[in-house]
Amino acid sequence: MKVCPTKAIRLRGGKAHINYERCIDCGGCLRICPHHAVIPVTTSPSDLNRFNYKIALPSPVVYSQFGSTVMPSEILTILTEIGFDHVYDEALVCEMVSVAIEEYLDENKSPRPIISSTCPVVVRLIQRLFPSLCKNILPLEPPREIAAKNLRSEAMREKKIAPEEIGIIDITPCSARMVSISHPETMEKSNLDGAIPIKDIYNKVMLRLKRSMPMVMMQSQTRISGIGIGWAIEGGEIRGLKYTNSVSVSGVLNTIRLLQDVESGRLKNIEYLECLICPDGCIGGPLTVENRFIAKSNVLRLIRHFGGKKRVSVDMVKTLYRENFFSFKWAVEPKSFPPLDKDRNVAILKLKQKEELLKRLPGTDCGVCGAPDCTTLAEDIVRGESKIEDCIYIKKKSSGEMKNSGDKK
Amino acid sequence: MRPEALFQKEFTIQGGDFVNAGESSCMIRNTLREIGVDSDIVRRMAIAAYEAEMNVVMYALRGTMQISVYRDEILLTIDDKGPGIQNIDMAMQPGFSTATEEMREMGFGAGMGLPNIKKNADVFNITSRVGNGTKLEIRIFLDGKKTRK
Repeated sequence: MKVCPTKAIRLRGGKAHINYERCIDCGGCLRICPHHAVIPVTTSPSDLNRFNYKIALPSPVVYSQFGSTVMPSEILTILTEIGFDHVYDEALVCEMVSVAIEEYLDENKSPRPIISSTCPVVVRLIQRLFPSLCKNILPLEPPREIAAKNLRSEAMREKKIAPEEIGIIDITPCSARMVSISHPETMEKSNLDGAIPIKDIYNKVMLRLKRSMPMVMMQSQTRISGIGIGWAIEGGEIRGLKYTNSVSVSGVLNTIRLLQDVESGRLKNIEYLECLICPDGCIGGPLTVENRFIAKSNVLRLIRHFGGKKRVSVDMVKTLYRENFFSFKWAVEPKSFPPLDKDRNVAILKLKQKEELLKRLPGTDCGVCGAPDCTTLAEDIVRGESKIEDCIYIKKKSSGEMKNSGDKK
Repeated sequence: MRPEALFQKEFTIQGGDFVNAGESSCMIRNTLREIGVDSDIVRRMAIAAYEAEMNVVMYALRGTMQISVYRDEILLTIDDKGPGIQNIDMAMQPGFSTATEEMREMGFGAGMGLPNIKKNADVFNITSRVGNGTKLEIRIFLDGKKTRK
């Protein structure tokens, strides 16, 4: 309850309730709850059966999960052995998007900094907490969507499969992906059909890796991109940019602090801002298995191994960029938290009430009332969602007073 | 006579306190948001408040910042005790700054503070007494009386 950056969780009757109007799907509660009370919505293997042609789209994070000697091509091959008809290296598209970002920065002189749209939680955080920054969000779809879009048309063209029979599944470290797939913010329908947590495929892949070792490195048809693999960790997106006055940040509190500075107009001289909600980037996602420090080291090793050589054709990306292949269908809309009241005059009254309440509340932020802190309880009270008696201190005091007045009689 | 403010809140700012700098303007932003002020106006006020707050932190001994919400406008006043401004016309020019080398190293003192406040305000007044202090008055109209330049 206390870990929630948008104060979306309340405890009522011994159970945690999430206010989805406030939730940004950051996964903070998922990571920390010792009772596993929060379960993310993802795709289960049985959901896959409805597709005739299944394509796995593993996030570059997947490559960091299986120790220091396993190569991406091995993992890609194994994915085709555990039920997928085709597999595609998302890192390659990450590299394409890197080129597209540069194109956008070259051409577009809108207010800086431009904020990355890769992390779905950051997009939601901006909609909710920093609505005026919506126009700073890079209006290009993230690599997973671009890849899926391309894969579907390719499969339709080359394999002559109906679009609805194709299932494109993200193999993901991220609990927010599924929400971004089922409720996309910048298009009618996501190009992806589902998301499977890395930890759900981990055992299967690990078993096969163990069984087939030692093995000669299998040559997969898929090319692997070193630049793209870097997207798994913080700083990967800006590493290749020629705009060196770009900044990367990870972790939910760090991101909020930085966005506050952007909103105060402090960071106008920065070109591009990569914000990732999970600590150290996507490798810190709640659906991963390997601890993020080991995973980070594995990613860095892979980056060194594959080098910074570009695998995608810059001209091809530029052509696609001109055709708006990367672009959002529509811009990200602000979805700010509702004010204390729709009527500004009432809202002001409620704000005054809230400040009065705050003086009465103990300020210990104990959380017994079910709200994360006293300020939030005061807000809930003026919104009519809680009562002042929910505060154990006030309740004790008032019952004590009642007793005292009873004694006098 | 102007009507009484619907809501008023005051913050104190300590000169030289770079650690807590920016907190008051952050609280102002949250307050305006809670009462449902349009997000563009909140942003303009947040920028103006931040710049004004930083000016107090950098140059003055201490100051107070007061936000007042009226039916049709928001008023932010900043009143500081400090050296004052020698030449206001100069200070209002973009790029002019009396910041020390040290402040510049911290990334401040680009000479854009006051011009930036003026840009974001609908009405901006500044008065200063050398050796005494500076007073700023920033007004932003609600309900789009005057649109952004």
